[in-house]
Amino acid sequence: MNISNLIAEIEEEKTLEAVKQAIADGADPLSLIEEMRGGMSLVGERFESKEYFLPELILSGEIFKQAVAIVEPHVKRGATHSRGTVILGTVKGDVHDIGKDLVGIMLRCAGYDVHDLGVDVPPTAFVEKAKETKAGLVALSGLLTVVYESMKSTVEELEEAGLRDRTKVMIGGGSINEKVREYTGADAYGKDPAEAVRLAHRLIGS
Amino acid sequence: MQRIHENDTMEADERLEAALHLRVPDRVPVSPLIYYFAARHAGMNYADLYSPAKYNQALDQCFSELGPWDAVYPLNFYYPEINSFLFPMKVLEPGRELPEDSIRQFLEEEVMLFDDYDWIVRTSARNPRLVHLRLFLEKWIPRIHDHIGEGWRSYGYMVPRMMIHLIRWRSEFRRWRKKRGLALLYGYGYEAPFDNFSMARGLLNFARDLRNHPEEIRKAAESQVESYVFSMKLACRYMDCNRVMIALHRSSNHFMSPDMFKKISFPSVKRLVERLEEEGLYCVLHCDGDWGLNLETLRELPAGRCIAQFDGATDIFRAKEIIGDRICIYGDVPADLLTLGSPDEVDEYCHRLIEEVGRGGGFILGSGCELAPTAKPENVKVMMDAVRKYGYYDSSARPHIV
Repeated sequence: MNISNLIAEIEEEKTLEAVKQAIADGADPLSLIEEMRGGMSLVGERFESKEYFLPELILSGEIFKQAVAIVEPHVKRGATHSRGTVILGTVKGDVHDIGKDLVGIMLRCAGYDVHDLGVDVPPTAFVEKAKETKAGLVALSGLLTVVYESMKSTVEELEEAGLRDRTKVMIGGGSINEKVREYTGADAYGKDPAEAVRLAHRLIGS
Repeated sequence: MQRIHENDTMEADERLEAALHLRVPDRVPVSPLIYYFAARHAGMNYADLYSPAKYNQALDQCFSELGPWDAVYPLNFYYPEINSFLFPMKVLEPGRELPEDSIRQFLEEEVMLFDDYDWIVRTSARNPRLVHLRLFLEKWIPRIHDHIGEGWRSYGYMVPRMMIHLIRWRSEFRRWRKKRGLALLYGYGYEAPFDNFSMARGLLNFARDLRNHPEEIRKAAESQVESYVFSMKLACRYMDCNRVMIALHRSSNHFMSPDMFKKISFPSVKRLVERLEEEGLYCVLHCDGDWGLNLETLRELPAGRCIAQFDGATDIFRAKEIIGDRICIYGDVPADLLTLGSPDEVDEYCHRLIEEVGRGGGFILGSGCELAPTAKPENVKVMMDAVRKYGYYDSSARPHIV
């Protein structure tokens, strides 16, 4: 079984062994990462068709993270091509990070450069990072209903900083839906990490 | 007769009983899970809810200004450590790690070790009635709360607080029943064994366990059933209520496949419901998340013994069609609607719930899980009023049959 299929079948140990072996055999690190991404996109497809659920998503994300850590030291600087920059974080007043972390992994898998600001992130931190990195997309996460206000003020502060023309905002988490998107002024909302990738493609991806 | 509304022909407890037994009551009962919202409405901090006097003051104010409602939904824990019985996770508390006006938040860290599965099975084989209590007092509580200590220190710290907690709850319940004529939704509750494991192991560990050790999980969950029955029976007798709550925070399809639910989580839930039935007790199943693909499995539960509470993530109208002839349905005015919607929108949704899910009885109106602390008071009032406006059954109404 190739690396892509091993990840898709959630074979943690076998994937990591295969990646180590491939590196030892002198495989091209970038093609390895491409293969791993292929596996993750299969996982995403199975998740969307309800063949896979959260445990598979979490485990595959963990396998991908560990496999990337093995390959990354062998990748030459500047050799990777980024599809775009995304600023990610759980907004102020909320410390939940499971959904956010999964979105981060899926976006990285899909080729985005992700800056994860962590949890309980105030609006100004998103604005500053967006300015600094010229990010095209800010992804806001939150589980509690208090996040509606934090998301709204983050969108407003991006607006006030004059960044809204070039920075799209997507939101997601527990009780987020179209009504909340409308209230916060975000551009899109996603129901799960797989949808976050599709939204990123639509909003800034090439 | 103590009426909640003027045109009632049943007392609140009879109404709740009728709904639970899938009969047609005089009208649809309403019972909000109201806790954080009450504090905010009364202008208090969430940290104030640890004070029994302030909690009760907040609830009284809410009931007078936005009620009435039919049943008390007890979820007030006067000690953070007691709350760990429902959520065995590391926790950030308002007024401690968080600002006083934040709500409690949980951290996904390892509280349960892998070896605990085996410990549970072995301990249960020797003493099936106490394994659940021992698991918490000897293993999990000391790992969650650093200040308590292990062994006898944990017992010494926790047991008096558990006693005080039960005594306070009982006196509160009596007050609500006598003074206001309310029913008690349940006398005592726990998180289901499987769902406890998911929280206490942390999601990543638990995802690995599900994949590599599903049998160990199922066995350890089933090994706890007798200890749940034992303490629920005692507590319910003390509270004078024949209903218990079983929280299922981590068994929805948001967390696992329907197949995994059926094979690993559900056997212990089913066994527990059946054993409680033998003891004359009924269950409120607190079903958070999307249960759409688990509904067929829930049909295996004995009919007329359970209330399934949904939080807005499950299609409650579909749930009525699939399980409505076996399980009373409870819910599900969603947090976002109560927070961002208009009173007209809330009224319209409650009306639809009453008309469609309430058809033929077997329905309790409630908020989707916890009533959002950010909900607009005028929306909460509309939700409570909906049962008076739309909830009375025609005398010719017949029980819902699929």
